[in-house]
Amino acid sequence: MSKLLIKNACVIDPINGIDREIMDLCVSDGKIVESVTNPDEVIDAAGRLTLPGGVDSHTHICGTKVNFGRYMSPEDMRAGRTARRSHMHATSGYCVPTTYGNSYRYAKLGYTTLLEGAMAPLEARHTHEEFNYTPLQDTMANTLFDGNWAVMEAVREKDYKRIAAIIAWTLTAVKGFAVKLTNPGGTEAWGFGEDVTCIFDQVPHWEITPAEIITSMIKANEMLNLPHSVHLHCNSLGTPGNYQCTLDTYNLIPDLNDKRQSLYSTHVQFHSYGGSSWSDFCSKAEDITKSLNSKPQIVFDIGQVMFGKTMTMTADGPMEFNLYRLHHNKWSNHDVELETSSGIIPVFYRRQSLVNSIMWSIGLELALLTDDPWRCCIATDNPNGAPFVKYPEIYGLLMSKRYRDNEFETIHPKTGSRVVLPALDREIDWYELAVMTRAAQARALGLVEHGKGHLGIGADADIAIFPLLPDTIDPGVDYEAIISGFSGTNYTIKGGKVVCKDGECTVDTAKSTIWSKANVPEEYNMTHDERFRKLFDQYYTVRMSNYPVQDEYVPSGYCIESEADL
Amino acid sequence: MKVILEVKTRKKPNLPIEAESIVPKNFLDHDADLKVWKGNKKLSLDEVFTKRVEGTTSYADKVEVVIRGDSSRIKRVGEYMAAGKITIENDIGMHCGNFMSGGEIVIKGNAGSWLGREMQGGRILCEGDAGDFCGAGYRGEKKGMVGGMIHVMGDVGDFTAETLAGGTIIVEGNAGDLSGVDMRGGTLVIMGDSSRVCGNMKKGEAYVHGMVREMIPTFRNEGNVEVDKTVYTKFTGDIANRGKGTLYVKHFEYMR
Repeated sequence: MSKLLIKNACVIDPINGIDREIMDLCVSDGKIVESVTNPDEVIDAAGRLTLPGGVDSHTHICGTKVNFGRYMSPEDMRAGRTARRSHMHATSGYCVPTTYGNSYRYAKLGYTTLLEGAMAPLEARHTHEEFNYTPLQDTMANTLFDGNWAVMEAVREKDYKRIAAIIAWTLTAVKGFAVKLTNPGGTEAWGFGEDVTCIFDQVPHWEITPAEIITSMIKANEMLNLPHSVHLHCNSLGTPGNYQCTLDTYNLIPDLNDKRQSLYSTHVQFHSYGGSSWSDFCSKAEDITKSLNSKPQIVFDIGQVMFGKTMTMTADGPMEFNLYRLHHNKWSNHDVELETSSGIIPVFYRRQSLVNSIMWSIGLELALLTDDPWRCCIATDNPNGAPFVKYPEIYGLLMSKRYRDNEFETIHPKTGSRVVLPALDREIDWYELAVMTRAAQARALGLVEHGKGHLGIGADADIAIFPLLPDTIDPGVDYEAIISGFSGTNYTIKGGKVVCKDGECTVDTAKSTIWSKANVPEEYNMTHDERFRKLFDQYYTVRMSNYPVQDEYVPSGYCIESEADL
Repeated sequence: MKVILEVKTRKKPNLPIEAESIVPKNFLDHDADLKVWKGNKKLSLDEVFTKRVEGTTSYADKVEVVIRGDSSRIKRVGEYMAAGKITIENDIGMHCGNFMSGGEIVIKGNAGSWLGREMQGGRILCEGDAGDFCGAGYRGEKKGMVGGMIHVMGDVGDFTAETLAGGTIIVEGNAGDLSGVDMRGGTLVIMGDSSRVCGNMKKGEAYVHGMVREMIPTFRNEGNVEVDKTVYTKFTGDIANRGKGTLYVKHFEYMR
């Protein structure tokens, strides 16, 4: 296998406590090693910023929902076209690019690990097929359990071990990575044209509340010792005044794991709204971050909104239907049998819009008001808040007060009275940025011991070298250098292979699909559970034996096994 | 200045040529080496056309381009044209006058589909028939033609004026199915017959002087009105889309 030596790299590796040290990195067999002799390739980083490969802990890049976004928007497919060249396939699309488009553009930004935010278990095959054509990143899929009938029955019976057994069976069957709850209860209600407004509402026809679903799932998830915690998209997304619902949810969260968080709260920006209607809409980022700062059991991502055209897609069907009624644009909604729902509509976030300007401010406020960068991940919920190609601009905004002030001048003039952003002087430094874009994600996903998000000995050689000399740039002033520097790596290295050099992708594939397998005692193996099997026979369009995803769908799988305490 | 482009006899005349470079302003520079595409092959304009130039000028609006010969497979002529005139003596292929914002295109024969798609201004006169999607927006686009005028003296195909947002389209013959679907502005005039007109209409005005078959049922019948000495039945809608469009129809029948 090839050996690689990277000389004179200015490394920031927060997990190993390294902050801008000039050092050499040695790679052998795709792993970081102590030293190499006779390297096959030597890269002179010449003091340039070198970070572990980026980890996006919540993005929508593969699966039926994303693909439906592609069908729905042929006009988007005409944007962002690139022609085939050497190792690179032709790509098209801007908000929802083709799989190759996603992969190449992420590689250019230095990202090497991606978590697909929501995969309906029934439609897992499609997600895995698209993963196989996302060649330059390790991928994994959050698996939706928010409206799962088997789980909800067990929640009603308060049988946590049964919930754990269902999670274990389903994750193994669909080769999923972690438990995702999207508007728990609400997506099931959507099947009957209804919704739940907050966590203490009854789920229609089920006699349980979203609060019970969330707490039971957290308990069950921790019994299984899965790498990641429950990944929650709270109820009542995107409605004015929903911050109260978010705070109530956070107050329920127990601290059950001493290695990582017990809850990952995703795209919190969409859940931090005050006011009673769109006319008195305002930011409640201060209340939310106050709660988050006091609860080390929760990690979150900001779900930043950036101005411009994008496509919203989520498993939260009822919310998307409300958005459709607001925008009256093209729209799709979908109910996934016994599991979940989904919806897609295109949006355009405008600077001239007060609501959009406030949303833009909230995401930044969340990042700036959070004391501990280890619990705040930078993400846009791609493509819901903005396509991920906007990430460098977000880094610029967080690192430069001056850039924020300049941008603030261009947004709706009344925004200042509804947000606290202009009063925040904090500027994120290089180290914090490295935490918020890779280390925090890797730790939250439980992937540090699997070699992600750091550059210690034995870690995966996922490395990004940016054309930035950190000691010569003042990010607060020269934010344009930050944006352009983070927009394209000199080298993106994945598993010891240079996959992208100065924007040109240089290999056909270097990836694996990470999935979780919790080993449960035989009496909790749902394959033999008559009641569980009956759900398939009575209600599903597929039989239980045809449900699991066959191994050939995951040719480059990396299985993380855990032993359940049941 | 007059530029006469005569299509050379081609071995495979059915292979389309994409000629978005045929725009009057591109001929101001006599030495410019204009390119056209045949599939993925880039050709010189001279390989497809014989070019003859009469006179000289330095203003694009004084340039008239005349296309002769079998131009029925020449696509995207006059794309993004802003001034001048293009005269096509025979048929023209698809996407003629895409996005044009000024000047005039005269087609003596028939036009292919997407005539004047997403056009912004100027005038297109087609003396023969036009294909489908005349003045429409391309796939997925929310707005079609936003300004200018398309006048077709023959018939047009389906989806004429789909997502029309401004400007005027006049069809002297019959229009195919689903004319004016998703209209959000502008004016559509059809002198002949059509069917399922203006579904999902949001705004704008449409006139049909002939028969509308399978009239969309979600339009409100406002009774008879007289416009320019013609008595029409006036409809507003499409109510299914909270639309405020107006549709004037001479004769109509609902689907039985």
